[in-house]
Amino acid sequence: MPPAVPWNSMQRLRALSVAAAALLAACGGGSGSGGSEPPAESPPPPVSPTPPPPASAGTSTRDAFRLADQASFGATEALTAQIKSQGAAPWVAAQMALSNSRYTLGKDGRVHQSTDPRDFCDLPAYTGANCWRDWFSTQPLVWDFYRNATQQPDQLRQRVALALQQIVVVNNFEVNGTYGFRNYYNNLLDNAFGNYRQVLKKVALSPVMGDFLNNANNDKAAPNENFARELLQLFSIGTCTLTADGRPQGGTCSPTYNNETVRAYAYALTGWTYPKGGATSYGCYPEGANCRYYGGDMVAAANYHDTAERQLLSGVKVSAGSSAEQALEKVLDSLMQHPNMAPFIGRQLIQHLVSANPSSAYVGRVAAAFTSGSYSAANVNFGSGQRGDLAATVAAVLLDTEARTETPARTAGKLREPVLLFTGVLRALNGRSDGDALAWWWGETLRQHLFRPPSVFNFYPPDYPVAGTALVGPGFGIHNANSALERLNYLTYLLSWGGSPVTAADQVPGAFGTLIDTQPFEADAADAGKLVDRLSVLATGAPLPSAARNEVILATQSFTQQNNGDTWKSERVKQAALLVFATPAYQVQR
Amino acid sequence: MKARPMPNMPIQRTNLTRRRWLQASGLAGTALGAGALGNLMLAPRFAHAADYKALVCVFLYGGNDGLNTIVPTDSARYTQYRNVRQALAIPQASLLPLAGIDYGLHPALAALAPAWRDGRLAPVFNVGPLAAPLTKAAYRAASASSPLIPDNLFSHSDQQTLWETGSADALTRTGWGGRAADTLATVNPVISVGGNGRFGLSALNAPLVLPESGATFGAYELSKDPDYRLTYPPLVARSAALRALYNQAQDNDLADVYARMQRDAFGMSERLGGIVKTQPGDASAVAGIDAAFASLTTDKVVAPGLARQLYQAAKLIAANATVQGNRQLFFAQQGGFDTHGNQVATSATDGEHARLLKSAGDALGAFYAAMQNIGLGSAVTTFTQSDFGRTFRPNSSSGTDHAWGNQHLVLGGAVKGGASYGAYPELVLGGKDDVGVDDWELQGRWIPTTAVDQYAATLLGWFGASESQLDTILPNLGNFGANRKLGFL
Repeated sequence: MPPAVPWNSMQRLRALSVAAAALLAACGGGSGSGGSEPPAESPPPPVSPTPPPPASAGTSTRDAFRLADQASFGATEALTAQIKSQGAAPWVAAQMALSNSRYTLGKDGRVHQSTDPRDFCDLPAYTGANCWRDWFSTQPLVWDFYRNATQQPDQLRQRVALALQQIVVVNNFEVNGTYGFRNYYNNLLDNAFGNYRQVLKKVALSPVMGDFLNNANNDKAAPNENFARELLQLFSIGTCTLTADGRPQGGTCSPTYNNETVRAYAYALTGWTYPKGGATSYGCYPEGANCRYYGGDMVAAANYHDTAERQLLSGVKVSAGSSAEQALEKVLDSLMQHPNMAPFIGRQLIQHLVSANPSSAYVGRVAAAFTSGSYSAANVNFGSGQRGDLAATVAAVLLDTEARTETPARTAGKLREPVLLFTGVLRALNGRSDGDALAWWWGETLRQHLFRPPSVFNFYPPDYPVAGTALVGPGFGIHNANSALERLNYLTYLLSWGGSPVTAADQVPGAFGTLIDTQPFEADAADAGKLVDRLSVLATGAPLPSAARNEVILATQSFTQQNNGDTWKSERVKQAALLVFATPAYQVQR
Repeated sequence: MKARPMPNMPIQRTNLTRRRWLQASGLAGTALGAGALGNLMLAPRFAHAADYKALVCVFLYGGNDGLNTIVPTDSARYTQYRNVRQALAIPQASLLPLAGIDYGLHPALAALAPAWRDGRLAPVFNVGPLAAPLTKAAYRAASASSPLIPDNLFSHSDQQTLWETGSADALTRTGWGGRAADTLATVNPVISVGGNGRFGLSALNAPLVLPESGATFGAYELSKDPDYRLTYPPLVARSAALRALYNQAQDNDLADVYARMQRDAFGMSERLGGIVKTQPGDASAVAGIDAAFASLTTDKVVAPGLARQLYQAAKLIAANATVQGNRQLFFAQQGGFDTHGNQVATSATDGEHARLLKSAGDALGAFYAAMQNIGLGSAVTTFTQSDFGRTFRPNSSSGTDHAWGNQHLVLGGAVKGGASYGAYPELVLGGKDDVGVDDWELQGRWIPTTAVDQYAATLLGWFGASESQLDTILPNLGNFGANRKLGFL
């Protein structure tokens, strides 16, 4: 049998793997190039304020594909068919009712309960090559994430949680403790269709966030401003005053707050310590605070809480003598009532799910759903009517005319970020991943190693300018000549090298590797045109434009029964799939 | 100019061989040469032009604490420093004295001592984003949205943007490095060995971002790497199809950009992949560079982070015959400087900030030595940037918060070192340089007395920008009157 790969690709694979491991320490903390407010949009197109409802049942293949692409970790033939028959709004509503995915892998809170003076991983009970990985790192969360993303049916909940975790960012550089991260990200899954106020409250009370941005044990005597500043700047309202449809007020950056505001929030947010349950061999510092522990929400430590009157935004005031709990509610009131929040959060949800450059009218409609807490389409009602309702907001993002149009503008769409490239190809080709290969190897290579963004500014800024255009492209913030080629290498890895085999179960619990199955497509392989069209509809919702289609067919036909014997059909499928998934039409979703 | 060695002939030969093979294989014309970065695919030339110059920007992400990087050593100011910095104060006896001036460096920066002795290191004091000269009175009188006040002070992302774009407007899209490359019509765009930072972006071009030294910059089974003779017909067909796909017009703007970047990446990787991959001790390595980085090299691998990035930059400077251009801007970076907590450990000379400065200083020192070793010392100037300085007054977590004006370092053979430039901030809470007046705001956040624009103009003036080109690249420079340049070059 002639080899598909005429040289030793396993050797290559190992070399690449080693290179990936060598990169580890190079991606340290600190902020990458950051983002500010969205630039002024071009004037909104004349779109009616209330979108016309989509057809009540059923939709086109192209629309069904696009919704699958926007709302899941990758379209499959089955998923596209399901949405096509069910219709967009009913499918979204059904998705919101699902809740299958949880973070469960990794060890527990004993890392923060040891009174033995030795390092935890030096203790006989826990020592071993995988101690740090299983007890301290986020690697077990990566396993859960990709297993769920490639297999579980609650796709939209997971996509929204992924968007939220890229807004309210923590990372595994400055914080360690696998169990704490599980709590943090399970909260985001739980609240994906809840209320943004609850998301923020859990974030503010999270001991993982408290450790990450120095708000745990923050002392009124000289408050640390870190959490207060990023709560305002990144998690809620942003630095520039926005119009209701998300444009900078007056076309320039007119500040939303000043440093006095930041200090007022920092004071109001003092006086929180870790939940009870932690212990160390040397006691707990500072006096009156609990030891570091991530099992639950932070608790008030009255002696560290500032009780002076503090003027917050939106006309909200923390009155003198307020407790830490009362002050936190005032902080949340002031943010939820701030007019920036709806367009600031709404626009980012659009960017994560649908398009990097939404029209301001689209942002305005999504912001209106966030503010009113309700949204209706095709006689399906979403949301509780409470300001900040995420079910209403997400429905508005996905069911808007600008998301559902069959003819997106030239400026529509977004670069498929690495995580969605990883899962998208796997899901389309009947594959799945146990996650192990998508962290230190492919995650590092493409600069999106989940749970390890370089700083609170995420992997990329929401307003990264795309050179040669007037557009922004968040995903372009980590895309460059090197990642351009590494995207092709990922496809080669899955299709030519056969992905990653199953790791021994004592190394990775419940491992099943990172593998695809292209056999079901071999039935169409004899007819290269039919095969290429089937894969193109799967990957992009439609056949490729004829010039592109011709190139892919030509290359597919280079495998024949004469030159490849029994494997010619499987080789054709792999050749066609690699090229289809490498096209700009797939890599930039629109 | 001194005669320079002719570096990297092996790479040049390899590259030629590859190109000949490429032409022979009939694939050369498919997608090469087009696109914004197509200049990199010009035929190789011979060694450096006589007036070759490179500027290397090293961005310290997170906001480096410049007040602990370089500290006044005269007793009056050291006392002011110690009284406020308290547990964070570097002990006076630990500071590395800088002969000739009343300042000492953080002891973790020992690797920069030779550059100071050579007179090739210059600190620049209290630099930061400004729209125009700004006094405390004017700052206090200005409204929050006054054009005199740079946007979104004290915010990481915005202040990074202002430093990288040379602007006071946080909505600015292009970097001053990218605009300089466009204005001076450099052969290559800004080459970044440290990610996609905005410094190298221009209206039309993204920076050329290269992977780390030792990495494979190429597409397996698709690139024409010498190790990979692409002869298996279906793979040849695959490669040809890809190049054709990326040459086709798309029905979407971002997809057009994507296609352009893909085809540029093929061309650039074929041209530069050999240099990128070279590790210390390889046949294609440059001995003078390897020697300078030897103390940071273990088993033929340079230490990760800034050292590995600057090793990469050093190779690209040496291999100018392949990289091309008589003017080249580079961008490198180190993260982690956002020391809100545990900036120091039990001793003020250990802890997070000491560790960060050690790796930065070691890398900068090695790079400086490497450029000297290959005879390009006076052709290469390296300078730091960072989000902002940090508050003079520590917070309750043994750390410091976000501030504004900051101390920076410039080094290279052309630098008029042995002296300091600009005015060190007056170390008085609520004093003339502190933004604050009221109790709550007396943290020591210094109003810069030198603008990023003046700092950049000094660097770019040396690099070859005329006065009118400086005004194009740095639109606010005119607001600083006759004080356009700082004199350190």
